[in-house]
Amino acid sequence: MNRKLSILVTFFALASLVLAACAPGSVEAPPVADGSDTEKTVVIGFTSSLTGAQEVSSKRQVNGLTLWMNQVNAAGGIHLSDGTVVKFTAQTYDDESNKERVQELYTRLITEDNADFLISPYSSGLTAAASIIAEQNGKIMITAGAAEDDAYKTGNTSLFQLYTPGSQYLLSTVDMLKTLDPSARVAIVHENDKFSTSVVEGLKPYLESQGFEVVLEEGYASDTTDFGPVINKIVESGATVLLGGGHYPDGSTFARQLYERKAGLKFISLLVAPADSKFPELGEAALGVSTSSQWELSATHTPEEAAALGKEWYGPSGQEFADAYLALTGDKPTYHAAGGYLTGLILQKAIEAADSVDPDKVRAALEALDIFTFYGGIKFDTRAEAHGLQIGHEMVVAQWQRNDAGELVRQVIWPANVATAAPLYPIPMP
Amino acid sequence: MKLWNQYRGLIAPVLVVALLAVWPMLTGKPANRESAFTILKAIALASSLNILLGYTGYVSFGHIVFYGFGGYVGIFLLSGMGWPLWASILAGGLASGLLAFLLGSAILRLRGGYFALATIGVNEAMRAFINKFDLFGGPTGITLNFSVYKAYGGAAQALQTSFYIGAALALLALAISYLVRTSKFGLGLLAIRENEDAAEVMGIAAPWAKTWAYVLSAIVPGMIGVLFFFKNGNVEPGDAFPLHASIELLVMVMLGGQGTVLGPILGAFAYQGMRGYLVTSPVFKDIQLSVSGALLLLIVLFIPAGAIGWLRQRVPLLRRVLA
Repeated sequence: MNRKLSILVTFFALASLVLAACAPGSVEAPPVADGSDTEKTVVIGFTSSLTGAQEVSSKRQVNGLTLWMNQVNAAGGIHLSDGTVVKFTAQTYDDESNKERVQELYTRLITEDNADFLISPYSSGLTAAASIIAEQNGKIMITAGAAEDDAYKTGNTSLFQLYTPGSQYLLSTVDMLKTLDPSARVAIVHENDKFSTSVVEGLKPYLESQGFEVVLEEGYASDTTDFGPVINKIVESGATVLLGGGHYPDGSTFARQLYERKAGLKFISLLVAPADSKFPELGEAALGVSTSSQWELSATHTPEEAAALGKEWYGPSGQEFADAYLALTGDKPTYHAAGGYLTGLILQKAIEAADSVDPDKVRAALEALDIFTFYGGIKFDTRAEAHGLQIGHEMVVAQWQRNDAGELVRQVIWPANVATAAPLYPIPMP
Repeated sequence: MKLWNQYRGLIAPVLVVALLAVWPMLTGKPANRESAFTILKAIALASSLNILLGYTGYVSFGHIVFYGFGGYVGIFLLSGMGWPLWASILAGGLASGLLAFLLGSAILRLRGGYFALATIGVNEAMRAFINKFDLFGGPTGITLNFSVYKAYGGAAQALQTSFYIGAALALLALAISYLVRTSKFGLGLLAIRENEDAAEVMGIAAPWAKTWAYVLSAIVPGMIGVLFFFKNGNVEPGDAFPLHASIELLVMVMLGGQGTVLGPILGAFAYQGMRGYLVTSPVFKDIQLSVSGALLLLIVLFIPAGAIGWLRQRVPLLRRVLA
């Protein structure tokens, strides 16, 4: 009897879920204006990776965006010349770092949640799928965490990239190596995914043009957990410098195993993972590992820098952002968090410049944008063949070093004019 | 009357797919079209897998390889060679069928767990190969230019067209499944499922039958792969050969009832409908994976024969219409 009852309960549970899935309006009604003629609530829609491979970086990006939204709403919103006060709210879903549902979720965000503007998912592949939905609905999508170049070369008119494109990620690291050790033998070992491969496609020709010998080029699967065979190849190749990596899970494992296997490299630069505040949990394995970073608090950009370049300064200082982020999350901000904040800040600036929330006017304002913030320069390519590609932002090189108290801290080591410490070169042998 | 008797088992499956196809039109909501596409895609894939798993009794953990391989071939032809969508879809299906024929000739000699392991190996080997295959873009895959959609009336119209092609492919998958199930060839497959050695003694050419079952189960996944990646705008190895998707397909087939025509359709509908609801539900969206896992566990524990199997066992009258 109990068994039959259990079966019945299970069936009813399943049936109710399926019926509910089919029912219209199963999602909360989108926020609307509160009745006042002069207040408009703009809905910002996005998916994020609450689960899956991109979870760590994606969550920090969302935290940054949330902070911006809290601040702009608390400050009374954006005041337009016609008396409208623009405030913001967010509608978001978990995309599980999985491309299958991204189009479905973005269609829902636009047509049922009435999202006015979109933020991209975290990763180039997810963004490419979502951009088709944005384009067909004429919705502006500001991207963060979608650095790969190809997504912006598809003929779209709706994407605007915040990050420096993937093909330029490691170029400043090469410039630094040129001054440190022009005879370095370089191994390129990278995750076999869209983003990391696009970085390498830009890196290799640049290394060769600068006279470096590339002794190894190797890709590894995204779910690799044993880097032993790859490390053996690095050692056998006689490489003195390693450039590559991918995302957080593989990058942190790779760094740990390089340390444990005593690979004896003079310099290691990995993508994404060393830029995260969790990276020093690796202990000694983190020491000396560097990364290309979109933004570092210790080398944050300033109004003076903007003035020297003749650019318009916009938004808070880096320290103000960091303090507010720490107060909200209890964590130090990474470049992913700053990126999330900037997506909102750029939108705010474009709405102010357009004096409207009309998509066409905001799009025109974004295309004309040429500003400087604590995060650095922001300017978009407006050519049809690369519309929305970021052309105003430059990256810094950061390295985990020990401070006077013996704590691991991330120091900016390049470019020299913003460096907070000299490069640790070669990395001390374990 | 004869026609009714011959095709009555097809009525319920066709009705489910037809309702899904008109649901977005009736509600007028593009989001429903996207949800329905996900379900139709799952129906096409699960019904195809059912030919091998349900009728022949061979568990394939890597069936998604045909979806990825066909998808890659079709998108390459569409993007790189300028083929039209319909020809690319056909080519994707044929390429997957050919791959299944070649693979089947080799690995269908294996039985039980050995075959299942081999299918995982095939999927992973194909992903590794495509990762290194520059013609298909290597790790970065192939990204479609927006100009591709202009030939289909722009991105919006292309998505609408994709939806109706998806519905047609789902119908094709269930038609193949039904025709196999009710044919002499299908009876041979069922005999192999029950006892392969005994089936051979009875005169069934098991290697031939199994290979063709494998080929038939691979064609529609190859076609739906082309359609999905066309709609998504890009294809890359990680998305084309996701091993977890193979596992999900197995769950769908077993949930609805393996070896029946309607079972995989209901399984796909229930599984994807449930996931679609949970991922957007304000209550469940943060714990959706845990909830769906718990529900599936309950279903597998209490209804091991699947929904259709359970109904057929308990309501003999329904056996006439639930094929």
